[in-house]
This record gives sequence, structure tokens and C-alpha cells, in this order.
Amino acid sequence: MRLLKQIWCWFDEITGFSRSLGPILSHPVPRARKTRWFYVFGSATLVIFLTQVVTGIALSSAYVTGSGQAYDSLRFINSTTLGRIIRGIHYFGASAMIILIGLHTIRVYLMGSYKYPRQMNWLSGAGLLLFTLLMAFTGQLLRWDQIGFWTAVVAAEQAGRAPIIGSWLGHFILAGNTAGGATLSRFFAAHVFFIPALIFVFLAVHLYLVLFNGISEPPKAGRPVDPRTYRRWYHALLEREGVPFWPEAAWRDVFFGTVVVLSVFVLALVVGPPELGKPPDPTIVDASPRPDWYFMWYFALLSLIPKWSERWVIILGPLLFGLFLILVPILGGRGERSPLRRPWSILLVASAVVVIAHYWAVGIRAPWAPRLEAEPLPPKVVGVTSGPIADGARVFYDKGCEYCHMVSGYGGIRGPDLSDAGDRMSPAQIATRIFSGAENMPSYRGELTSEELNSLLAFLSSRRRVQLPKPPVLNEAPRQTAER
Amino acid sequence: MQAFFFIAFPYIALILAVGVGLYRYFSHRFTYSSLSSQLLEKRQLFWGSVPWHYGITLILFAHLLPVIFPAAAGAILGNHTRLVVLELTGLALGLYCVFGIVGLVARRVPTGSAARAVTSPMDWILLLVLAYQTLSGVGIALFERWGAAWYLSTAVPWLRSLVRLHPDASTVIGLPVFIQTHFISGFLVILLFPFTRLVHVFAIPIEYLWRPYQVVVWNHDPQPPHAPVSPVPVAAMPPTPSESTDKERRQLLARLSIIAGGITAAIVGIPSIGFLLGLRKTPETWRSLGPVDSFPVGETTAVSFLDSSPLPWAGVTAKTAAWLRREGPEQFIAFSINCTHLGCPVRWLPNANLFMCPCHGGVFYKDGTVASGPPPKPLATYPVRIREGAVEILTSPLPITTV
Repeated sequence: MRLLKQIWCWFDEITGFSRSLGPILSHPVPRARKTRWFYVFGSATLVIFLTQVVTGIALSSAYVTGSGQAYDSLRFINSTTLGRIIRGIHYFGASAMIILIGLHTIRVYLMGSYKYPRQMNWLSGAGLLLFTLLMAFTGQLLRWDQIGFWTAVVAAEQAGRAPIIGSWLGHFILAGNTAGGATLSRFFAAHVFFIPALIFVFLAVHLYLVLFNGISEPPKAGRPVDPRTYRRWYHALLEREGVPFWPEAAWRDVFFGTVVVLSVFVLALVVGPPELGKPPDPTIVDASPRPDWYFMWYFALLSLIPKWSERWVIILGPLLFGLFLILVPILGGRGERSPLRRPWSILLVASAVVVIAHYWAVGIRAPWAPRLEAEPLPPKVVGVTSGPIADGARVFYDKGCEYCHMVSGYGGIRGPDLSDAGDRMSPAQIATRIFSGAENMPSYRGELTSEELNSLLAFLSSRRRVQLPKPPVLNEAPRQTAER
Repeated sequence: MQAFFFIAFPYIALILAVGVGLYRYFSHRFTYSSLSSQLLEKRQLFWGSVPWHYGITLILFAHLLPVIFPAAAGAILGNHTRLVVLELTGLALGLYCVFGIVGLVARRVPTGSAARAVTSPMDWILLLVLAYQTLSGVGIALFERWGAAWYLSTAVPWLRSLVRLHPDASTVIGLPVFIQTHFISGFLVILLFPFTRLVHVFAIPIEYLWRPYQVVVWNHDPQPPHAPVSPVPVAAMPPTPSESTDKERRQLLARLSIIAGGITAAIVGIPSIGFLLGLRKTPETWRSLGPVDSFPVGETTAVSFLDSSPLPWAGVTAKTAAWLRREGPEQFIAFSINCTHLGCPVRWLPNANLFMCPCHGGVFYKDGTVASGPPPKPLATYPVRIREGAVEILTSPLPITTV
């Protein structure tokens, strides 16, 4: 023990660590009082980022960066016990990082911590937020199963909507004319070297600024930030009631970070890593690309906005979000910090959370996607096994109607539920809709023989909730316009 | 060595020209001039400057235009008469330049003349390089004939590859050394640009190009400049007290360090970025999909084929799928499987005669036109042909919908 102490003394004497780094560790921070647990999200994001670095390095020691072999190397990683755990930690760590950086951003925004003199803290943090989202996107792609492969194609298609350079940008993302051998290497380099390098640089600036400007004190309504007096006032506050960061404030960061890493670890053990899908073979056409949960809401958003606005939203949406992040500290660099005096900020955060949660929930259901895996309607739903109604049920399946229309709980939800079509429409109205189609329904003109049409009409007219004959109600359910 | 002279050296020259040129423009703007010494003498400058500037400007354009419009230049030179006329014009202009540069050198040579006194070592280097460049150009026109034509297949591809950041010197490394020295000294001129009075080419404002000429006249009979008027350079002044020279020295050292750092970063960065931005161009090739009879008329089948030149490690991703429809005995049409909305693979529903996209529910009719949903355009098609009883498809880039 004495020897260890001697070695440390010698080491410290020639490096000066305790003299140079000691004061940084014990620098005074304001007392956070009631909001003290709100200050842990940033450090937890850092902890989980380091977890990602460590597990990422471990994964890269076995991952093969070849479009032809990556999938097999991942299957190998999955087949080993520790490989599964590492992949699980990396996956749930990514999810945790997205959640934590989101919470951290919201905390800083609501508390007005981005105001003078911490505008650059916010801007470097905005860069880190952007890079984290890019890491999430590229990481999902590196799974390089069927969904990973199609994610690259979808990314290229979205980039293609950029004006003028769209086509070049799309093929730049694919690293060639088609998604092939060079594509994966490009995303690997981005995910493993390029973006992490940027994260380290921005992180260094971010942490330096936290030390240079000091951590923001909890806001108080009626105490606006005035750039002329703020620094002097802040230092007086630290003199008066500052506490050493280590360990007075740091223990909460350590505690929360430990809880986060432990949760990620338990999830990795219990739930395990995401299973690999089919191989990344472009010739397997029955693929249904879906983003991981963190981009599900964006996927839903792109599906549900009006068609004409899509080309604008794909490009302008991310740009406007970036512009918002840049303008926040520039336009709002002074004044009230307390959310109680900034009701619009609460409203903005609340609406963003509600909108994202809503689209997220919708994205999971994906009502716009046809259910191509639907099975033919069973006899208990059809009610008969022969005759025109049974034939019509078969036509209903064969012609793809069931992929989009639900009948008694079977089929897709792209179009209106037809379980009670007979109650709502006359056969003539149904026939009109089948022939004319709609914005989201193809026209079947010329695709049905008269027998097929008659049996289909018989089947749909037999779909009734109410058995008693009622006067026919005018067409209400399909609200789409009839033109296409 | 060839790689240095034809790949590294041009970039170094260009980086220095732009970097130092900009630096000089922003830090020593008033040195952006030709430092004209016309006032120091009678009419000697006329015989040097006028032939030189008219000649070299036209010659430079003749060198530059084929690089920008190689196809047009090739079309013009395809005719023998036109080639002879152009070569002769070029040679005449070249000799005109030689006449000019000799005049420009001659007026600075006599010891004791005013022009000699204001000539710096850098001026001599520049004159020497320009003289070599002109003479070697005329030499090439005389002894390596029809340069206008072979220029298109040697230096033009090389220069274009430099611009595209994909340097490829293969078309110039086999040329005679004499011609190669002309290329190298050409880039040497570019390199010298920011360090000499050559910067006057980009002196701003450049209205001198179209404004009426100005006549410089003495309003009294000028004395022939016997003794130099002693234009002593500032550097030869007696040294100022050490404090201010130290400050100047440090400023100079700091600026030099920043320039050196910038050059280092550019040397490392430009090839890396160029490599990253380079798209791998693959030729389009015809791939067989199987005998014509294996595709029933009126049906749509999934086909797959190998990309035109897949990377060895591409594995399964080297393949591409398409939907092939046989419309008639001899009529085939191949659709890309990529939905025009966001690229997801569309599926063919044979009973309904529809393509359906699993991502956002886009639907296409059997002829590829949009039936419903978000897709903005019909499905893309591949060119198809029939050769020796087999259907063939032309490998093409992944279709990307643009606005």
C-alpha cells in the first residue's frame, strides 16, 4: 500500500495531474436544489456514448465490412454468447443515447440554459444531436440484413429529392450506380470513423465550454439574463453558495449513469439484440423495409403528409429543424430563463412530444401499408362455402382487395373497413367505386370479368352488421375523392 | 517520378497559386499589379509587351478551350484543312510570342538601365520560365507536329482528370520528355503566379480589358535614364530598432506557419476528399435473362441479373432484380423493382395485375403507370432486347426520383 502511494506520488510529481486536473474536478457549481436530478441527462449521454465506443470497438473486431460477408459475420457474432450480449448493449445503448440526448436537449431548452453566455454550448450540443441521429441511422444500416440494405436505397432516394444535386447525391450515398459492394464500406466508414471523430471534437468543445462558462444555475422566474452583468453575478453566486462538483454534484451523475448502463445491460441480457432479417439479397423482392423505433415517427410523417408537400418536407423539414436549433440561442440569447415566464417553450416542447409520440404510435400500426401477408378469408367469416358469395370472397382476396380492406378483422387497414359494406352502399355504388378507384385505390376497370364482378358485389353486399333490411345509407365511408 | 510531376506537382502548383494568391490579395492588395516600368524608358516596352500579350492570350485560349469542350475541338480538327490552318495560326502566334518575350528580356538586360535596376531575382526566374515555355511550345509545333490533334488524346484527358480530382497521368507518361517538360514548366508558371508580378492577370478591377487604352506621355522631354534613379527596395533600408523588426519577423513567421499548415492540410485533404467523392463509374452491359420461350406471353416474372462489373466482395448484393413482362411474341418490357416513391421493392400481384409497394402502399398498373398512392412517377424501365433467342437486359443505374 505504501509502495502504491509512493508510485502515485512520483507519477503525480512528474505529470502534475492533481495540480492541473484537480481544480477542474472540484470546481464550484451552483446548488441545484429541487432541480438537481434534471442535471444528469448530459453526463448520462456521455457515459452511454463511451459504452457505445467500447462495444462498437468490440463488434468491429469481428464484423466484416464487405457487402457480401457482413451479414454472415453478424450471424457469427450472434452465435457467440458474449457477441450477443455486446450487440444487445450496442443496440439498447443506441436507443438510450437517443432518449437521453433528447431529454438533455429538452431540459436545456426549457430551463433556458442556452442563453448568454452559453450559446456556443447549445450550438455544439446541436451538432452532437445531429451526429447522434446520423449514428442511429447508419448503425441500423450496418446490420446489413434485408432491411439494412433497403435502408441504404431509401436514404439515397430521399437524398435524390434535393434540388439540382439530387441524383448525384443519391448515387454518392450508394457509392456507385447501384447498391452493391462499395455501399456498405461507405456507411461503415461514416459510422465508425467519420461521425465518431466529429462527435469527439464537438464533445471536447462542449465539455470545455461547460467548464469555461460554468454549469447554468437553476432558473428563477423574474431573474432575466443580462449579458452586461451575468458573469459577475454568476461568480458572486459561486462564491456565496457554490459546492465542489466532485463529489457534491458528480455523485448524482455517476449514480444515474450507472442505472442507465445497468438497465441497458439487463435489456441486452433479457431481450437480446435485434434479430437479423433475411440476407441483403436485392432479388428477394418480398421485403418490407421499416426503420428502427427512433425513426418510426419520421417514417409515419412522410407517409401521412399530403402528396404534393412531400418533396418539400423531405428536404426542408430537416433543414428547418437545423435552422431552428441554430436560431434558438442567437435570437433568444438573453432575458427570462424560467419556463414559467416562457410559456411558448413549454407549448413547443409539449407539441413536439405529442406529435412525435402520435406519429410513432401510428408508425407502428402503419395503416398506409398494405398487408401483403393477409390470408384468404376463412369460411366462418364468409358464411357460405359455395355460391356467388363464396366466389366473391375468393375474388376479394385474389385481386388484392384484402391487402388494404379489412373484413371482420381480416386484411389490411389501408382503405375503409368493409365489414359492413352492404349496410353503407348499394351494389351500384360499390361497382362505381371499384371501377373508378380513388386517390389511394387503383381502378379495376378491365381487370374483372362480369362473373367476377357479380360475385364480388354479392359478397360485399352480404357484409352487414345489421341483419334487418334498412333503407340504404348514402355513401359516406370512403372519404377520398373519386378522381385519380 | 512521373506521378510526382504529373499528379502531385500540378496540385501543389494550383494549391499554392490559389492559397498564396488569396493570401497576397487580402494581405498585400496593392502588390496586385504588373509593377509597370513603362515610365522609366521610351518605347522599348511597346515592342515586347504588345506582341507578347496578344500572342499569349490567344495561345492560352487555344490551350484552354479543348480542355473545356473536347468533343467540339475534336469535331473542328477532324478536317485536314482546318487542322493545317489552325496549326499554322498557332505557330505564327507562337513566333509572335517569342518575338515579344525576347523584347521583354532584352529591355531588362543592359546594365545600368532603369529597367535592369527594378528587376528582382523573381522577375528573372519568371522571364526565364516564360521564355522556356514559349520556345518549347514553338519547338513542339515545329518538331512534334499536329499537336492540336494529339493534344486532345493526351494532355486533355490528363488535365480533365486533374479537375475531376481523379488524377490519371496514363495518357501523358509515354510522351517524349521534351513535350513533358512543356507541361511541367506550364504548371511552374501557375506555381510562380502568386510570387511574381504575374498576379496582374487577376488584378481587380479588370476593366482594363475593355476600357479604351491610355497613352502615357511625358509632359517634358524625358532625359534618357543614364544613372538609375536609385529605386532602393525597402528591405535595404537601414535596420529599424530591434523591437519593430522582431514584431515584423514574428508576424511573418506566424503567417508563413499558417500558410504551411494550410498547404499541409490541402496535400492530405484534397486526395482524400477526391477519393471519397469519386463515384465508381461502371459501364452498362447487356446481361442474358434466359431463352425467350421461358417467359409466357402476358405474364410478369421476377428476373435477376449481375451488375455490370461487381466488386469481388459484393456477394449477393452484386445482383439486381427486375420485373420482366412479355407483352407479345417479341415485345418485352422490364420494370425496375424500386418504387418511385422511396425506392422500396414493389411486388407483383399476378391475379390483380398490379404492382404494390409494401412501404407506403403505392400501386402501379401492369404497364408501370401509377394506379394510386404516393408514387410521383411510373416505374422506371430497363432497356431490353432479344439476341439469338435469349432476352437480354441492359444494366443501368438504380433509378432515383428527383424533383
